[in-house]
Amino acid sequence: MPPTRKVLACATVMEELQPWLPAGIACQVLDFGLHVNPPALKAALQAAIDAAAADEIILGYGLCSMAVIGLRANGCTLIVPRVDDCISIFLGSGDEYRRQARSEPGTYYLTKGWIEVGDTPFREYDRLAGQYGPERAERLIRLALKHYTRLALIHTGPGDMAPYRAYARSLAERWGLRFAELAGSDALVRKMIFGPWDDDFVVIPPGGTILYQHFFPADGRESTDPKGLAA
Amino acid sequence: MSEQLINAIAEMDEEGALALTRELLAAGTAPTAILDACRSAMEVVGKRFECGEYFIPELILAGEMLKGISAEVKPYLAAGQADVKKLGKVVIGTVKGDIHDIGKDIVVFMLDVNGFEVYDLGIDVPPQVFVNKIQETRAPIVALSGFLTLSFDSMKQTVEAIRAAGLRDKVKIMVGGGTVDEQVCRYAGADAFGPDAMAAVILAKGWIGVN
Repeated sequence: MPPTRKVLACATVMEELQPWLPAGIACQVLDFGLHVNPPALKAALQAAIDAAAADEIILGYGLCSMAVIGLRANGCTLIVPRVDDCISIFLGSGDEYRRQARSEPGTYYLTKGWIEVGDTPFREYDRLAGQYGPERAERLIRLALKHYTRLALIHTGPGDMAPYRAYARSLAERWGLRFAELAGSDALVRKMIFGPWDDDFVVIPPGGTILYQHFFPADGRESTDPKGLAA
Repeated sequence: MSEQLINAIAEMDEEGALALTRELLAAGTAPTAILDACRSAMEVVGKRFECGEYFIPELILAGEMLKGISAEVKPYLAAGQADVKKLGKVVIGTVKGDIHDIGKDIVVFMLDVNGFEVYDLGIDVPPQVFVNKIQETRAPIVALSGFLTLSFDSMKQTVEAIRAAGLRDKVKIMVGGGTVDEQVCRYAGADAFGPDAMAAVILAKGWIGVN
């Protein structure tokens, strides 16, 4: 009998996985908002893993502010892309994310998934304006974005980008950022589902635990930045 | 009235917090009592952030309030210490590839008001810029900040650049920010990590041998 599989993914990543998922594969979407609270994300992931009843669990996450470190593969094999976060997944590799981060660290990334489910500093404005008034809200958002120079919309998956482009462009104009579009890649997304789970992945056998060293080996040979692109 | 200042900061009342600081100082309140109130208020803000009541913008506004209060308090701090002698020099910055500085700025504030001479290199700082500043100032303490996990490799590369420049045994290096922990500290080859701004002050004081 082939191993049973389940995908546990953040809502933004599931949006990209969806078009590729084989019929009948078990899936669970976790709340996108968890990413700002790594301990809560870790707890939610562990609970979902323990309740999954599958032989292989593919995590639609990256290191995600260390939230996946310490997750236990209780009765299953855990597979997680060896990347910092979902931006690498959308761009197709950790290397490409590092290239972007190096060339323009002050980039605010958006994808259609983020626009659909995400709350951004832009939407924060409404909350802040309601709480502290429009003037302070304006000041707060501008402070939050003071080191940002570019808003980059990543093109992922099939589908009409026009409405997302219009939205992202209007946000960039509203907050004084340069608008840019980046080509996304489904390379990592497809590999997550179809394999091979090679060095681009951390694969933890049943009973094992995801460790910091899996993402950042002490000798640096297989770190998430093997080519030192962050420098 | 310190209680009121704590509340003003915790409730994001920027104008109120500054006005109260001025009142307190004019009434002869010890500057250190005001800084203690700031520290308590930051703990409240931090807790509200952790439980999801506050978000990044509130942290930023709290940081801005600290800067404003710091500017008001400093002249009084200096007046209280006729012969102002700085404890020691610290070179600090957010490492290459990262632009987050809310936490770093709070550490700068805490080191500054605790008597350190702080050289803040800002954000996205290349390893060589750290090296140059250490050579120029002969600072014995270096603080590397980073929020993104992308920054861990930059921290490692910065420590390596300091070593390559022959300065590794002349400085103590601390790392901090975001999810930086003991493992990141070991990976980067730093001497210590701090989970919050006060930890940076305690580490720095320990390294130069003052209480």
